[in-house]
Amino acid sequence: MAENTITTNGLTKVFGHFTAVDTLNLDVKGGELFGLLGPNGAGKTTTVRMLCTLIDPTRGTANVAGYDIREQAAEVRRNIGVVSEGVSLYKDLTIEENLRLFSTLYDLPRTKAEARIRELMEMFGFREKSKRLVSALSSGWQKKAMICAALLHEPKVLFLDEVTSGLDPQSAIALQDFTRKLCDEGETVIWTTHYMGEPEKICDRVGVVFAGRLVKVGSPNELKHSVSELSTVEVETPGLSATQVEKIRKLGKVCKISYNDPLLRVTCEHHEDLAEEVTKALMGAGARIRAVNTKEPTLEEAFISLTGGEEEIDRFLESSARRK
Amino acid sequence: MALKLLRDIFAVAGNESRQFWRNRTAILISLVILPLFFTVSLGAAGGGATTRFSPTANIPIAFIDNDLSTDSSRLLQTLRSSGDFNNLLLGYREDSALAVLGTGKIYAAIVVPEGFHNHLANNQTSKIILYADDGEPGVGDQISATLRTVVQDFNPRVEVQPERRGLSQIEIVQKGALFSSFNIGLVVVLGVVQIFATFYEIAGGMSREREDGTLARLLVSPTGLVPIMLGKTLFDSVLATIRTFIVLGLSVYMFGARPSTDLATLVIVSLIVALLTMGFGFVVSALRVGARAVVIVEFFLVLFLFAFSGLVIDKELLRGLSKAISNILPWAYGFEILRRTVLIGRPLLTLASDLQIILAATVIFYVVSYAIFALSRERLAF
Repeated sequence: MAENTITTNGLTKVFGHFTAVDTLNLDVKGGELFGLLGPNGAGKTTTVRMLCTLIDPTRGTANVAGYDIREQAAEVRRNIGVVSEGVSLYKDLTIEENLRLFSTLYDLPRTKAEARIRELMEMFGFREKSKRLVSALSSGWQKKAMICAALLHEPKVLFLDEVTSGLDPQSAIALQDFTRKLCDEGETVIWTTHYMGEPEKICDRVGVVFAGRLVKVGSPNELKHSVSELSTVEVETPGLSATQVEKIRKLGKVCKISYNDPLLRVTCEHHEDLAEEVTKALMGAGARIRAVNTKEPTLEEAFISLTGGEEEIDRFLESSARRK
Repeated sequence: MALKLLRDIFAVAGNESRQFWRNRTAILISLVILPLFFTVSLGAAGGGATTRFSPTANIPIAFIDNDLSTDSSRLLQTLRSSGDFNNLLLGYREDSALAVLGTGKIYAAIVVPEGFHNHLANNQTSKIILYADDGEPGVGDQISATLRTVVQDFNPRVEVQPERRGLSQIEIVQKGALFSSFNIGLVVVLGVVQIFATFYEIAGGMSREREDGTLARLLVSPTGLVPIMLGKTLFDSVLATIRTFIVLGLSVYMFGARPSTDLATLVIVSLIVALLTMGFGFVVSALRVGARAVVIVEFFLVLFLFAFSGLVIDKELLRGLSKAISNILPWAYGFEILRRTVLIGRPLLTLASDLQIILAATVIFYVVSYAIFALSRERLAF
């Protein structure tokens, strides 16, 4: 069992009368890709900024890479890499110059730094672009440059805050794949996003954050099924008789069945082999099958359900926009 | 630990340098436009490159010769040929001159009393009397000082005797004796250029870094606040020194300035004023002033300094509230040091009290800004 790389205990940040992060209790294990999912203004970035020692918590404690964020801030910074909104590279310098500057600040010996810079340039395909000013790079390449800088000193924990926002789909997917690979190699990554699809694809566990609170933590599957234990199979099967429909109804755990020629909809408690069983039963009853679709609850549905429904989210987004 | 601190300071300074030399606009403003604009405009105002600058040259002054001797005529010729008194008006009597003094027609009256020649002929000290306009104390001082210098050249046994008139009291200020060159221009230009440039470089630079997110990037690295502040200070000190050489070069070679101090003292004093302004720049940036607002703050800072720091009106001539403000403005002491070194060549160490005040103010600015930043890193980062 891997040890916790990040632990927070009642971590709270209050700005004036507004509580941005409210009593956050979180454990992230070493080598885990942990997603913080929530709408804009939910407190994700504030959480990351506290864990990166950029802002001081109002209350509570946190440990990152084995160091207390208040008492051992310098050690925390030595062990983390950050790519976040509001944390940027020098645009008037080339990517190489930026990396050299930070290699000095991270105390990397010169030869090791040069080797690491070459390695990162190679890894991210910067070869021809290494002498270009950061300002001359596209937003996708700028993000890559920032990740290079964040990885330069081989940190134990990498914070990627809304890192795919503004990226084209190919770059976003490449970045997701790269991050997954990093975690498979032992890196701990905190991935914050408001895109519901991202954590579902890549994260080991996801924390749903809403209005400053951590609402629920679990694997994407656990979260989805925590709000709905039901799975649905839709079968396109024309001309089904009432007897054939009744035969399907008799399958175990079926909660609900409806037939509107040609669409048969079967809902039952979460059951991985449901589609196979329904198909077999229909074929056994001599039905013609054109198509079969399985519908699982999505992380988006889980998020809406966990955060109190769409109206509650709308209210929160409105108040968040007013605060800005 | 100390080695790491030094490495970080040089890394931050090197980074500042790389960015600066890559930014043509910054180079143009900091090292070309600001020094050139102020030096040339002040030089041109003083008569251009070929004429010696003298603030008293064009002031209307009555010359009343009650002695009507060869010596009094020679004195008039000496004054006229000095280049410091090009607007001497003859034809006034002592009483008629005093009647118009204060109306703006004349700003002073120089009276050569009867017996001027005889005293000189008998190897005795002779006197001339100077009346000055009560409403223009700065002008009175300058005329008095310049007159004393020119008269000493004419004959060392002639004494300028300032006269009381109403509430006026003309004090012969030693530093005024050297006003008759572009040296005073050099003092003003050095002060203004260093303040303009260094304040914007620090306060504007910090605000821009905060807005761009590069300051936050530095702050998530293991480097601390001290290397960031000192690294920026180091690079800006280099720039301030380059600016000093540019202003000095222009002043000496274009406008004939002859500073009475050595180059090292001039550079050090100029750097002291720049460091003080950098400290203030850090304080302003600690108050989270945006990059655009920095320009507005700078405008008011310069206005304030023009009014109260002795840059335009001598600190000693200010009264009441203005004097009180001037006394608490550390820049006023910086200009005082600049004046005393550049104009009369006072050794820097003899100005210990002024130096102590300005250095203490600089340290206070740095400590206060550091404390604000350290109390709330988010203030620095976002």
